[in-house]
Amino acid sequence: MRFQRLLQIPLFFFFLFLLWLAAYPLPSWFEVDLFLRLDPLISLGTMAVARAFIPKAAWAFAILGLALFLGRIFCGYLCPMGATIDFWDWLNPKRGKDKGENAFERAGRFRNLKTLLLIGLAGAGVAGISWIFFFSPLSLMTRFYSFVLYPMGLMLANLFLDLLRPLFPHIGLESLSYVRYTVPLFNTNLFVAFLVLSILLLGRIQPRFWCRNLCPAGAVLALFSLRPLFRRAVSEKCTSCGRCVRACPMAAISEDFVKTAHSECITCLKCQEVCPEHAITFKMAVKVPRLSPEIDLNRRKALSAGATGLAAAALTMTNLHHLHGGETPRPLRSSRLIRPPGALPETEFQARCVRCGECVKGCLTNTLQPVWFEAGLSGLWTPKITARLAGCEQGCNLCGQVCPTAAIRPLSLEEKSFAKVGTARIDKSRCIAWEQDKKCLICDEICPYNAIVSQFVPGHPIPVPVIDESRCNGCGYCECKCPVEGESAVVVEPSGELRLALGSYREKARELGLVFHAKGRVQDHTILNRDEREGKEGPEFPAVKEGKKLPPGFTTN
Amino acid sequence: MNRREFLKRSAQYAAVGAAGLSLPGMIERVYSAEKEPNIVVANGNPGPAARAAVGAFGGMGRFVKPGDKVVIKPNMSFPNPPDWGTTTHPDVVRELTLMCAEAGASSVLVLDNPLRNSELCLVRSGVRKACEDVPQTHVQGLTSKAFYEEIKIPEGKALFSTMVMKKVLEADVLIAAPVAKSHSATGVSLALKGMMGLIYDRKDFHLNLDIDVAVVDLCTVLKPKLTVIDASRILSEGGPGGPGKVIPMDKIIVSRDMVAADSMAVELGTWYGRKFKSRQVKHIQIADQRGLGNMDLSSQTIKEVGA
Repeated sequence: MRFQRLLQIPLFFFFLFLLWLAAYPLPSWFEVDLFLRLDPLISLGTMAVARAFIPKAAWAFAILGLALFLGRIFCGYLCPMGATIDFWDWLNPKRGKDKGENAFERAGRFRNLKTLLLIGLAGAGVAGISWIFFFSPLSLMTRFYSFVLYPMGLMLANLFLDLLRPLFPHIGLESLSYVRYTVPLFNTNLFVAFLVLSILLLGRIQPRFWCRNLCPAGAVLALFSLRPLFRRAVSEKCTSCGRCVRACPMAAISEDFVKTAHSECITCLKCQEVCPEHAITFKMAVKVPRLSPEIDLNRRKALSAGATGLAAAALTMTNLHHLHGGETPRPLRSSRLIRPPGALPETEFQARCVRCGECVKGCLTNTLQPVWFEAGLSGLWTPKITARLAGCEQGCNLCGQVCPTAAIRPLSLEEKSFAKVGTARIDKSRCIAWEQDKKCLICDEICPYNAIVSQFVPGHPIPVPVIDESRCNGCGYCECKCPVEGESAVVVEPSGELRLALGSYREKARELGLVFHAKGRVQDHTILNRDEREGKEGPEFPAVKEGKKLPPGFTTN
Repeated sequence: MNRREFLKRSAQYAAVGAAGLSLPGMIERVYSAEKEPNIVVANGNPGPAARAAVGAFGGMGRFVKPGDKVVIKPNMSFPNPPDWGTTTHPDVVRELTLMCAEAGASSVLVLDNPLRNSELCLVRSGVRKACEDVPQTHVQGLTSKAFYEEIKIPEGKALFSTMVMKKVLEADVLIAAPVAKSHSATGVSLALKGMMGLIYDRKDFHLNLDIDVAVVDLCTVLKPKLTVIDASRILSEGGPGGPGKVIPMDKIIVSRDMVAADSMAVELGTWYGRKFKSRQVKHIQIADQRGLGNMDLSSQTIKEVGA
C-alpha cells in the first residue's frame, strides 16, 4: 500500500474516533476538536472575520508552515473530506477513457472557482459576515458524520444488540445486555446529507472534484504551496507513457509529464506508484521546472468575486431576521431561539461559529440543535437549545469545551451554572394545574434550581406553579417534562439571557441579583405569595406559621 | 405436590429448622424467642445500619434463596451527590447488594428509570461506583422502551395497565430501597411512590390520573418482599429533586410491609418544619385502606437496634 494511504486511512479513523469521543464525559487527555482547528479556513478565516486572535485555533499556522515545506499534504493526508472523497471515488470509479484530458492544462476548467470562492468569503468577511461554515471541508465533514452517520450508526448498533440480547448472559457478557444507545435526533440532517452527497457525486465529472475546484481551504493551502521544498521530480528515465497524468487525482501534472503544478499536488504519491520506469520521486528539490501560471486569475475576476461576497453579506444583513445586535431598527428575534450557555453576544457568536456541529453532537441531552433560518440567513446551522426535546444539564459544560473557535466560551462548571440562557414562562391557559385544577407540578418537581414554586392562589383549589425569574437559569427541564401534549405549557424564552464576551458570569449574575444555587438552605420551596416571601430569609415559610395551609401533598386529617 | 414430595420437603424444612435452632448465637433472639417485629429501625452509619436492620429480621437469607434473581430499587433519579438527600445513599445500596450476594443470589440488579440523564444519575449518585466490585451485581438506569413490557393491573382503580421493566417481572425477589424525601405532588416519596421508578411512562400519573390512587394501583402488582428505607438523612422539603433542607437522622427503616415502613418514615421525620401522621399522606392512607399493608404504628411491633 502507498505510504499516503498508510497515513490517510488511520488519520481518517482518528478523526472519527475523536468525533466519537466528543461526548459526555469529555476525555481529559485529548482535545477532541483538534481536526477542526487544523483547517486553515476555519482557524484563520474565523480569526479574520471575527477580528480576533483565537489562541486555541493557532494550530492552523503550523499547517500553513508545513505547506511551505511539504505542499498540500493537509489535503492528501489529514483532511477527512479528502479521505471520504477518495473512498467514494474508489467505490465508484469514473468510467470511460481519459485521453490525456487529465493534464493540468486541459482539466482546468473549474479550477479557479476555489480561489474565487475564497475571495468571495473574504469579501463577506470584510462586512463581518462569515460564510466559512458553508464551504469549510472540516465543517462539512464534522456536520455530516455527526448529524447523518452517527445516529444511523447507533441505530444499527441497537438493532444488532437487540438481536444478540438473549445470548449475552450465556456467554458471560451480562453487562452488554443492558446496553442500548439513545439515538440522537438532528434538525436539518436531510439537507446536510444532500449537500455532502452532491459533493461526492461531482466525482462523476472529475475525481476529487471538490478538492480540485471548490474547496476554499485548499485554495488557501495552494497559495502556500507554490514552491514547496519537498516536491515531485521526474528523472530522464521518463518515457512519456502518460500513466502519471491519467492517475493523478488532482490533475496536477502537465501534459509534458514532467512539470508539476505544486499548488495542486497533494503528495498522494500515486504518480510515483504507477510509473513503470521509477522515474518519479518526491524529494527536496531546489530547481525543478514549474508550471505557470498555476493560479490563473485576473484582476477583473478577483474583484468581481470579492464584490459578490460583499454583496451577499449585505443581502444577509438587510434580511429582516438578521440579528445585527444593538442597531435600529431592532431585529426580529424568535422567542424560541435559546443559545447554548456561554455563547458570545450574537454578532460575535455568528462571526465565530463555524457550524461544525461538534457541540450539537456532543450535547449530553441532545437539546442542542442546528437551526435553519431562525437566526437570519447567516445563522444557518447555528446551535440552539431545544428545550421541548431535552433540558440543558447543569452538570455538563461540554459545548463550550469542544467549540474550536470559542464561539461558545469554554466555561468551568461553576461559571456555566451562572450563564443564564433564558427564562421560563408559564402559559396559564395551557397549564393543567392552572386551567384544569390537576395536581401536576411536574415542572416544580423537575426544576433543578428551585425556580418553580407551588403556590396557593385564590380561586384555585390546588397549588399552582409560579416561576421565580431570578432563580430561573433557563435550562428548560420544565419545558421538556411538561406533560401537556404538543407545545409545552411552560416555555423558555430568551429574555434575561446573559451573553458575555468577557468577564465572569458569576460576577454578572451577582450584580443582577440572580440566585442559581439554592444548595443548603432553602427558603421558599412552597410559598403563599410573593409579598410574604420578600424580606424573609429564614428557613420557615408562611404556610407553617399560619397553620392553615399544608405543604403540597399532605392532607388535614 | 404428592405425598412423597411433601414428606421430602417436610424433612428438609425440619433439618433446616433443627440446624437453625442448634445455632442460636447466629440468629437474633427476637427471631426465635420473641414475636417477629413488624418494623425495625436501626441507628448508625448507613451501611452498617442497613445490615443490622436486615439482620434483625434474621438476615437476607430469609428473603433471598440461593439462585434467586434479585432486583433492588433504590432512588437514583437525580444527578445529585448523596448529601442532597435526593437519592438513596450508596452505602445502603452496596450493603444490600452484598447481603444478597452473600445469600447466594444468582443476579442482583439495581434498577431505576431516572428522570434526568441516566448515565449522569448513576455516576453522581455514587451508586454505580459503590456496587462496582459486588459479585453478580449490575447497576442500570433503564430508559429505553425495549426493556419494558406491558402488564395488566387487575386490582387497579385508576391505572389498569402499565409498562414495567422486564427484569422486574422476571425477578424472584424485589427489594425497595428508597430514600426518605419530600415530594411536591405526593407529600413524601418513599417505598410506595418509589415503585414509579420501575415503569416506563409516568406522564399519565400527573396528567390524567389521581396520582395517589395510581401509585397504590401500581403497588398492587409491584410488591417488594422487603422494604429498606434510607433515612440516614431526609430531604425534608424541596423534594423530590432538591436542593432542599436536609435533616440528618442516621436511621434505616426495614419492614416486610412497605406501607408500615413508609408510615414509620413519615412519622419519624420532620417535613416542612412540622410533624405529620402517616394518614395525612393520601397515598399511604389509600394503600392502608386497600389492604396493601398496615400504616397504624401503634398496633405494630417496632424494634430498635444499633449498628
